[in-house]
Amino acid sequence: MANDAFETEALSFLDALYRTALRMTRSEADAEDLVQETYIRAFRFRDQFTPGTNLKAWLFRILTNTFINSYRRRQSQPEFTELDDVDEFSLYRRMTGGPAASASPDPESEFLNGLVDSEVKDALADLPEKFRSVVLLDVEGFSYKEIAEMLGIPIGTVMSRLHRGRKFLQKRLYDLAQERGIAALRTAPQKG
Amino acid sequence: MDCNDCVEKLYAFLDTELSTTELEQVRLHLDGCDDCDENFVFEARFLTTLRECCTSDVAPAELRERVIRKLRGESASPS
Repeated sequence: MANDAFETEALSFLDALYRTALRMTRSEADAEDLVQETYIRAFRFRDQFTPGTNLKAWLFRILTNTFINSYRRRQSQPEFTELDDVDEFSLYRRMTGGPAASASPDPESEFLNGLVDSEVKDALADLPEKFRSVVLLDVEGFSYKEIAEMLGIPIGTVMSRLHRGRKFLQKRLYDLAQERGIAALRTAPQKG
Repeated sequence: MDCNDCVEKLYAFLDTELSTTELEQVRLHLDGCDDCDENFVFEARFLTTLRECCTSDVAPAELRERVIRKLRGESASPS
């Protein structure tokens, strides 16, 4: 691939790399450094990229490697958690059973429409790093196999981390919505 | 396939990671089970919301300029 074409295509993923870096490092300064480092490495090793294959996945692999090697050890969050307590949480069950169901004709929509971007992002920031990475890579559209290769973990681990990561987010957002007293979640008296 | 088996495959189904056979089994169950079907629809909407929220940010313009400067400087320098 010619340098210019490679550069143009690589730079088209800058937003995706940056937002992922931002959520991985949880720091704007670190995210900018991580992205810059990713591009420098990508260009240095561009001969190793096979034209016609997935450049986005290749760049994300460099990003995650750089993150794991240089940034992860700086993270202060304890990494021993397995989040197994959220495994069985079902937001759908909470929505369709109990107070939410009796307070609104469509509690699911009310919940989803009431979600605030900043709350979703805060919930993601609170998700332990090994789960967060998997969720972020999924959000960027990578397959289980691609995520497994990027992070150097088995596909089964990708699946369980994705499952638990999503459940954690759902539970956190449900608890927040309850605290905020979203109409659908209040034990409001039924009409009629 | 019962409801438990079906829910166990929920995310793999929504992530389009099931084999053709499994996909058919799940579809068949969903066709006959409103509760599972609604559960799947809700989870799909949740994932869409999550994706939309996470993919809306753009990089600072200054970062783009800095990266381009670095790359051009890098390729200009002798290796």
